[in-house]
This record gives sequence, C-alpha cells and structure tokens, in this order.
Amino acid sequence: MKVEVGFRLNGYEVRAEVEPHLRLLDVLRDTLGETGTKEGCGEGECGACTVLVDGAAINSCLFPVCEAAGTSVMTVEGLAEANGALSPIQRAFLDHGGAQCGFCTPGIVMAGVALLAENPNPSDAEIRYSLTGNLCRCTGYVQIVAAIRAAAVATRGERGD
Amino acid sequence: MGFEYHQPSTTAEALELVARFPDAEIIAGGTDLMVRLNKTRRVPPALISLRRVQELTHIENGSGLRIGAAVPLRDVATHPAVAAGFPALVDAIRVFGSPQIRNMATLAGNLCNASPGADCAPPLLIYDALVELRSAAGVRELTIEDFILGPGATALEAGEIVTAIRVPPPPPAARSIYLRKGRVQMDLAITGVAARLEMDGATCGAVRIAAGAVAPVPRRLPRTESVVAGAAAGAETWARARAEAQHEISPISDVRASEQYRRHLTGVLVERSLARLASTNGGGT
Amino acid sequence: MTDLLHIGRDVPRPDGADKVGGKALYIHDITRPGMLYGAIKFSEHAHARIVRIDTSRAQRLPGVRAVITGDDVPEVRFGFMRDNLALKKGKVRQFRDEIAAVAAIDPDIAKEAVDLIDVEYEPLPGLFTTADALADGAALIHETDPTGRPVTSNLVPAACSHRSGDLEAGKRASRFVAEGHYTVPRIQQASLGTAGCIAEFDLNGNLTVTAKTQIPFLAQRDFTNALRALGIKDKNVRVVVPAVGGAFGSGLDTHAYEYISILLAWHTGKPVKILYDRYEEFAYLSPRQSAELFIRQGCDENGKLTFREIEVTQDNGAYVSWGATYPNVMLVAATSLHRVPNVYFNATIVYTNNTYCQAMRGYGNPEVTWGIETNLEELAEKAGIDALEMRLLNCNQPGDVTPMGLNLQSCGLRECLEGTAEALDWDRTRSVSRRPGRGVGMAALINVGGGGKIYRSDGSGIILKLDDFGNVNVSYGGVEMGQGLHSALSLMVAEAVGVLPERVIINQTDTATAPWDVGTHASRGAFMAGNAARIAGARLRERIFALAEQVYPGEVERNLAALGEGEGLDEFDFRSVTRDGFDLRNGWLLCKDAGDEPWLRVELGRFLRAAHFAKEGGTGTMFTEEAFYEPPTDLPDWSAGYGNMSAAYTFGVQGVEVEVDEDTGEVTILRMVAVTDGGRVLSRQAAEGQLYGGIVQGVGYALYEEVHSSEGRILNPGFTDYKIPTAADIAFPIELQWVETNDPEGPFGAKGLGEAGIVPTAPAIANAIYDAVGVRIRDLPITPEKVVQALAAKVGE
Repeated sequence: MKVEVGFRLNGYEVRAEVEPHLRLLDVLRDTLGETGTKEGCGEGECGACTVLVDGAAINSCLFPVCEAAGTSVMTVEGLAEANGALSPIQRAFLDHGGAQCGFCTPGIVMAGVALLAENPNPSDAEIRYSLTGNLCRCTGYVQIVAAIRAAAVATRGERGD
Repeated sequence: MGFEYHQPSTTAEALELVARFPDAEIIAGGTDLMVRLNKTRRVPPALISLRRVQELTHIENGSGLRIGAAVPLRDVATHPAVAAGFPALVDAIRVFGSPQIRNMATLAGNLCNASPGADCAPPLLIYDALVELRSAAGVRELTIEDFILGPGATALEAGEIVTAIRVPPPPPAARSIYLRKGRVQMDLAITGVAARLEMDGATCGAVRIAAGAVAPVPRRLPRTESVVAGAAAGAETWARARAEAQHEISPISDVRASEQYRRHLTGVLVERSLARLASTNGGGT
Repeated sequence: MTDLLHIGRDVPRPDGADKVGGKALYIHDITRPGMLYGAIKFSEHAHARIVRIDTSRAQRLPGVRAVITGDDVPEVRFGFMRDNLALKKGKVRQFRDEIAAVAAIDPDIAKEAVDLIDVEYEPLPGLFTTADALADGAALIHETDPTGRPVTSNLVPAACSHRSGDLEAGKRASRFVAEGHYTVPRIQQASLGTAGCIAEFDLNGNLTVTAKTQIPFLAQRDFTNALRALGIKDKNVRVVVPAVGGAFGSGLDTHAYEYISILLAWHTGKPVKILYDRYEEFAYLSPRQSAELFIRQGCDENGKLTFREIEVTQDNGAYVSWGATYPNVMLVAATSLHRVPNVYFNATIVYTNNTYCQAMRGYGNPEVTWGIETNLEELAEKAGIDALEMRLLNCNQPGDVTPMGLNLQSCGLRECLEGTAEALDWDRTRSVSRRPGRGVGMAALINVGGGGKIYRSDGSGIILKLDDFGNVNVSYGGVEMGQGLHSALSLMVAEAVGVLPERVIINQTDTATAPWDVGTHASRGAFMAGNAARIAGARLRERIFALAEQVYPGEVERNLAALGEGEGLDEFDFRSVTRDGFDLRNGWLLCKDAGDEPWLRVELGRFLRAAHFAKEGGTGTMFTEEAFYEPPTDLPDWSAGYGNMSAAYTFGVQGVEVEVDEDTGEVTILRMVAVTDGGRVLSRQAAEGQLYGGIVQGVGYALYEEVHSSEGRILNPGFTDYKIPTAADIAFPIELQWVETNDPEGPFGAKGLGEAGIVPTAPAIANAIYDAVGVRIRDLPITPEKVVQALAAKVGE
C-alpha cells in the first residue's frame, strides 16, 4: 500500500506516493526522476548515492524514504544555479579534473559540500579522511582532493572569510 | 506487500508497536539492517524507526553516560564527555565506516548487529558498559558479554528494544585506547583491541583488555589482563601480554586475514596499546 | 609543431560539467517506454550437468513477461573462440554460467522470478587449478571444440611463444643468473558504474543495443551474428554507447547478458534492460586474468643482460575471452623492456572451472612487468650492481628494433630513469643512510602507445562535420569512459581544423553515425582519433581554402562596409589570395601573409553560411570530411611472437619510497614519482588523470586487491570484502614528470597513456619493500600477512 511522503528537495517541497519500503535513493531516481544520485553498491561502501539530509551526508541506499519525511534533502541537482552556473565546488571539480567517468562524482561532490560546511578550511588529510566513504576507481583521488582544496578557498573567498 | 513503516515519537509508542508487530525490524541508523534487506530483497512486515523517539536521541551526562539508542555515532564521538572520559570509544568511532555511516549508525545498532568485529564493542567492554533494554514488562540491563551471544545473536527478547547504552564513570586515573587494523582505511576490522590501564607508580594496576574480530563475539581477554595486572610496567610485561593474547583468542580465517595473522596482529596491538597507555603523560588517553 | 594553440593545455574536459552536475546519462539512468527488466538465473555449481530446468513457477509470477532457457531459444554462440553460449545447454562449467532468464515489468519481480526457477544438476568434479586441469585423466571442461570435434585436453588452443637469438649461448655468456616464480591474482576492474544494456527491436526488425561497451563496432558484428543465429538476416544492428561509468577493459568483449537482453527483447517485442548490481558485477563479470610466471634472466660481469626466459601459465577459467590473449601483450615487455639479446617466452593457457577472465588496463603487461622488474633487481643484487645502474646499462634507445621487431621510433626511457632517480634522490636514499624500515624502489615500463594490433584492423575512422555556425561535430567510434578521450580529441580537432576547442562538439558514440573503430583499448583511443582527425582536418582546410578563393573577397568587402575602413588596405590585395595563402585559426579565416587586421578576418561561421547559401548562379556546399587511419603496424605472428604491433611505444618509470612496519607487516607508501614518456602531452588534465588513476589502481594491485575464490565460487563479491584504495589510503604525494618526446607517428607527437600508470607500480613497491626490510615478495598482493611471514622466514634463515 502506497503512502505519501513529503520532504524538501533542493529547496522545493515535494510529495510522492511511494511504496513505504523503498529507499530514499529509489524515490529520488525512479519516482522523482532526479538521476544525478547514483547507486554504486547498495551497501553503503561506495558513496555514489551520497545526499545530504538536514545537512548531514548519508548513503541514500541505506535510508528508508519514510525516514526522509519532513526533512530537507539536498542532491547534486540542487547545487548549480537555475541558470546552469556551477557551484564553486562543481567548478573546482571541473577545473582540477576531479571527474573522469563521473559515476562517483555526484556523491563525492556532496561529501565535499558536507565537509566544507563543517570545516571551511580542511587540511589534505581531513579531506582524505572525509572521503573514506566515497570510492573512485578512475582518478586516484589526487585531482579530487585538489578540487576540494580549491573549492574551500573559493568558498571562503565568496563569503569574504 | 503488507509493509508498514512506523515512526513513533515516544518509547511507549515504540514498545506498543514492537508488541503489535513481533516480526518487525527495528531501525535506528539502518546501516546494517538496510544492507541486509537490500541484499536479500526481503521486505519485513513492518519497520519501526527509533530515529525520532525523543527520549532516545540524546546523551545524558550524570553519573557516567547514558547514550540514547538513536544517537548517531558522529554525535557520540563529538560529545565532550565522551571525548574526555572514553577515548577508546572515540578511537573506535573514528575508524567506524565512513562519515556517511557515522551520520546514521548508532552504538545500540552496532551492538544489536552482534558482529564479531563490531568496532564499538571492545571499548564498551573495557568501560563496563551496560545495555538498557525495555519492554512492556519493564527495564533490564545487561553487560555486553550477556547481551551479545554469538555472531548475529543477542539476548534481545520479543517485545524488547534497546533504549540506551549506559557507561559508568571511568576511574579517574585510567587511560584507555582502541587500536584496530583493516586492509584499507574503510574496512571491517581484521582485529581490534581496546585496553584500559591504571598505573600504580611503575606497576600496572587494574587493567582491561578486549578484542574484536578474533572470536565469535567481541570479548575481554582475562588471561592477558592477569599477565599485566600487578606486573612491572615495561617491554617485558607487554611482550608477555602479547604472547598470552595470541593464545587466548580464537580467530578464524576469512578474506580479510588468516587465523594465524589475526593471532599475530592481535598480539602486536595488545603490546602496542599497553605500551602507549603506560607511556602517556597526564590524563585523558 | 611549435605553432600549436591548444595541444598541451590544461583545460577542463568537455563532458565535465554534465558529470559534476549529475546530468550525464549512464545506462543506469536510461529507460524506454514499455521497457521490461531482465534478470538471469546463474549456475549453482562450478561444473555440472543440467538435468532439468523447471521454470513453471517463474512463469506464473504476475508481472513476468518471458522466461527463457537454452532449450527455448536458438543457440547463440559467442566469445573469442566461440566456446560460450548465451544460455547454457546440457552443462555448466563455472558458477556464473547463465542457465535461464526472465523479463518482467520491474526489476524486483524479475529477480523474484529468477529465484523461482528450479534447476536440477548432476554435479561433476571441478578443476580449479591449472595443475589439476592438466593432470593425466583430468575431466574435460569442453568435450568438443565449437565445431563439434572432440578435444583431448584442457589446453586453450591459443599459442603464444617467442624465441630470438640463442638462448643457450646467452646462458653460457652469463656470469650471474636470477630466477623465480612470480604470481599475480585475479582482480576486478571495479568500475563504479556497473554493467548493463538495453536491447530493442523496431518494427522493421532492426536492433538497437544501448550498451556499456568499449567495442561498439565489434559488438555490432557480434550482435549481427547473434541475429543470424535467430534466423534474422539482413537487418541493421545499431550500438549506442551512453556515458560509461568506468570500464578498464571490462567492456572489451560482448557478454552473455547482452545476448540475453537481445533474446528477451526478441521474445517479448519490448525493450529489455539488464543492469548488473554490485554483487553481479563481482560474481558474474570477467575479472583480470591471474597468472603464474617463471622468469630467469642473466647478465655478464658488467651487468649487461644476456638472456631472458619466461614461462607463463594462465588459469583461463571456463571460456575464452580476451584474457587468453594477455600473453600476446606480455610479449612486448618480455622481449623489449630493456635491451636483451636472447629471449624465450612461452605461454600455456588452461581451461578450469573458475570464472573466465577478460581484459583489464595494461592487459598482460602489469603481470609480466611484475615478474621482469622484480627479477631484474634480484639479478642486479647478485651481480652486485645498483639496480638503476643496471637499467641504464641496458636501456632501450630511440631507433632500436627489438627482438620482437618493435620499432622504437621515440624512446625516453633513459630520461625517465634519470628523472625518477633524481626525484627519489636515489644515490642517497637507496640502501644507505636511511631510517630502519624505509626503502626506495623503482620499476620501468614499456607499453604500446600507438594501438596494439590484435585484430585484422587496428584502425579508426572519424567524421568531422562543420555546421552553419562554425561548430565542428565529431563522429568517432571510440568510447569516452572517463579516460579523457574527448578532452584530447577536442583539442586535437581544434588544432587540426583551426577552431576553438569549445566549438568542437563530440557526438555520442553510435555505430549508426560514426565510422568503424576497433574499440577503445590498448591506450589507443586518442592516438587513433588524433591521427584520423589530422587527416580529416587537413582535408577540410584544403576544401575551405579552395572555396575561399571565391568567397573570401566578398566577405572582406562586407567587413570593409561594416567597419568603414581597413588599415593597410592599399598594401594588400585581398581579392587575389590563392588557396595556399589562407589560414584558419581559432575559427577565423585569415590570410597568412597579411597582418591580423579585423577587416581581413572572416569568422568561420559566416564563411560557411556564405558557402552553404550560395549567391545566385553558385552551388551551395557543406563541409564534412571523413578519414580512416590505419596505423603502419603488423598483426604479429603469435606462434613466433614477432611483429611490430604498435605504431609507437610509451615508456615510463615509477619510483616509490615506503616504510614497512616489521611488526604488523604493513607497508606505508611515503611518496611516489612517475616519469613518463607518452610523447607530447595532449590534454594536461587528462594525461595527469590517467597517470594518477593508473598508479592508484597499481597500488591496489600491489597491496590490497584479489578476487578470492574457493572451488570456483567467488568469496568476496562486493566492496565490503573486495577492497580498493580509498582517498585516505593515498595519503602520500605522487609527483608526475613528463618526458615529452615527439613521436613521428603520434598525433601532434603524442603516444597512448591510458595504461602506462598501472604497469610498473607493483614491482616498484615490491623493490622498495626489499630495500627497506630485505624481504622479496613474489606473489601479489603484498599483504601485511605475507610480509610478516617473509620476515619470520628471513629470521629463521
């Protein structure tokens, strides 16, 4: 029996009639059509499905959609401006080669957003530690770490820190 | 499909639901349960979420700590009282899964999953933590040893939920640590060793040592402890503890490591943890 | 070549914005109206006869649209030696054998239906090691060859050997000899995006397969053959490649699941999607081939190599795919890494009941380099010669033709060795004046850098189409799977045509629009695409300049009318410029010999519109050019192991400093350096990305990764138990340096870079470990456990 679940998604209220056993990931991708969030393993190891729920990075493959009711969910689709302008962290991933095949990228970008919200000036070691839940097979992480480092600088600059 | 999802806001409501749906799954962080459900494609008749049960979402700091069953690990590790009094638990959470997992997973969930390698169990063992269980019939408290009965098996009875983990205040002079090894940074433990040591001058006082991933359940190592308690602090004692620990455990071989290596590594970690605790200056760790 | 405007720049990848924005569409993200979901019933035994398959319960499940077995559909045979069937009949030979398949209206129903299929087996003894499979009286895994002729052993009939010089004379001339057994495990490509496809027929009977593949055109051929097996003749097969979530070789062959989705689509008349989950990816796709190597090398009293002898045994698994041809590529390093005069190489490939293996980045080269470069250091130690010294003494030189006949037109290996030594401060850090437990090591590589001819064509076609606005649409049959092909290609097309890179639009890879390409592998994508683009670009320019003789004067007059004046107008006769006098740079048509004045410049789009919409009396024209580049290489004779299989060769050296914890056996990498001769760097960001990514895969290969199996069953089918490095494991600096040789055959001087990064990482690390603590691990991965055991054995000596 379907139930109605409502939450804020990237700043907009959404409501969906869903099977209550579904995961947040399924509803984002299949019901709401936001396919930017990826499924890489379904067991919380790879982080491709990382989204923010009330600001905290979580694995949406391990998150029952009903638990999202009333929360604020942010996905990679919520980062860019409406006119398509990339957010500072997305721009940094582009400029520093942080994406290759791109499949892990939305999840890693969201992990980076969560990190910078909590720690605007992370060391490389802190960046690396914050990414232990996000596997990337293409980049060797070097350019990803560089991108997050650059995004931290850009974000601080934007806020005038 | 007949699946129901319930999100009670009080413990009483949660207990009522647990009684009503004996085959329901209880979800706190969901990081183990959801993996299991995803893998088996099983849909339980009901899911009862503790995430919004108010009484379970905070840490009380009085005589010791009472950590609600729905507190995510990340909040446990960053709580000042935990950092001050229970550094081995902070160590364990630091190597526990990933930031995403720590934002969801809970201490209670880690114990209920009853994995032999549960990272939080060895620290809780050395801190004499108690598991608080509630049912319509009332409250009871079990030690970790009495709660985790075997791989995946706990003493949780029908109609019962874990509501909190209680940790008594640590002895003022005790220092503690958790050391563990995986293959890469995010991995289940090959072995993990928690140790707590009180020094009496140059002599070892009360000591507790517990290990995970080296027996069917996370467990204290009493024979190793007895090698250390009352012995002179120093390399010779640590080496004897190392040798004893290697014999005292009963690990298995799996894709992470062989039985032999687990014995070896557990010994090394016992030795290192004791050496570090004895050499640490000042309180805290 | 000094005049390059875009080659070598550090620019973002053209597909980057969509990737960082979550807009790139992978097979996971694509659905079709009315689409069904397929799921496969896999074998529950490693080796068994199929007695009975009961699909009745699955058929009855609501939502199921089709259940098929090998008995219900025509036999679809596939694979390198056509020894595999889409749906197995009679017998299963590995745990992943496909027995039946379901199409249903949603993926959960499809999987539920699969669980309802009952198969009765008669188990057969399994053969899980090459020794068992080759033993006298061993059961035959394939009783007949694909044509039905009986076979007599479990040997895979894929000869690969080489003999050059005089091995015995080489041995006699040796003062020092080192030998050993070196082994490498199966590892998984572990792409973050799992495998999948959608097959659909239109009502004319033409088939479109949207596939995660690296070989759209060979897949088109394979799928066309499958249609023939179904009795469908003279129909079109179109293969469309969506964004690819990493492949690393896993897409180098067609897979049973692809044929099964075709069969289900044919059976149901609906589009059918099969998407592997992570478990299926690990358990049912083909990993990198394992290998056992015996290596013996000798040198004279000065350290000059005298001979090299290599015996390879490969556990092929149950069917033949590209894994069986690893020895072909092993030959490159076996015969040609360092100057070595007398070489013997032989490979034995054996069927077993293990999972069958396939391609992964480097394709035999990391395996053989693992043995050669660790054994070389053992030899150097015996000879009392520094390992760097020995490599320099035997270093390949530009112009060398190697024992395999490889023609090393460009070779920067010496510079790579020297650069690595300098970065590591080799003379000070190696063996002397270092802290206990610390050591440095290095290993060298040669890799194909201009394709690798293992098929009768190693060519690539390209179509460059100019539109009315000065954009270049590129149709290329190679696959962007993350490596940065499109980064390099957009720069090369921009350079070849004379437009800005952002005006180069690379179309989705589609066999319906792109010319033929053999596939994206062997570090060949950018090399081939670039050479084809250079040819097509030159033709476009030629045609543009020819027409400019007529069109240009009128456009300049328009400029003058708009600007009202033109500086230098009196000195330059713009009306009589001939074709040789034009240039096209960054989208502007110019005169070579005139100044860069605004009135003399004609924007390409305007020129193209003027050409397209010709004035009265003229004929309109469009500019589209195609070119097919076939590199000047040989398809080697594999039984003799001879032939110049690549148009260029990439070289490199990796150096590493490690710290070994002698108590736990843990190896901590402190820093790495990679000095690479990939010819001219095309896209700096993409080139660096290939190296970093390859090196970190190499670190995984060296230290962590192994597909564990027990009696054919994979024990670690997921990221919980199969560990690849995380960001926190790469907590050391990786320094990249480039030796930019200018290869004469390379596009703009470039050589292929896709594989180089992974090739020498493991031996470099092993050599550093030996330098640190004096134990030699010959069996990958180098787990802490193996280090501890080796240290204990050393103490016991």
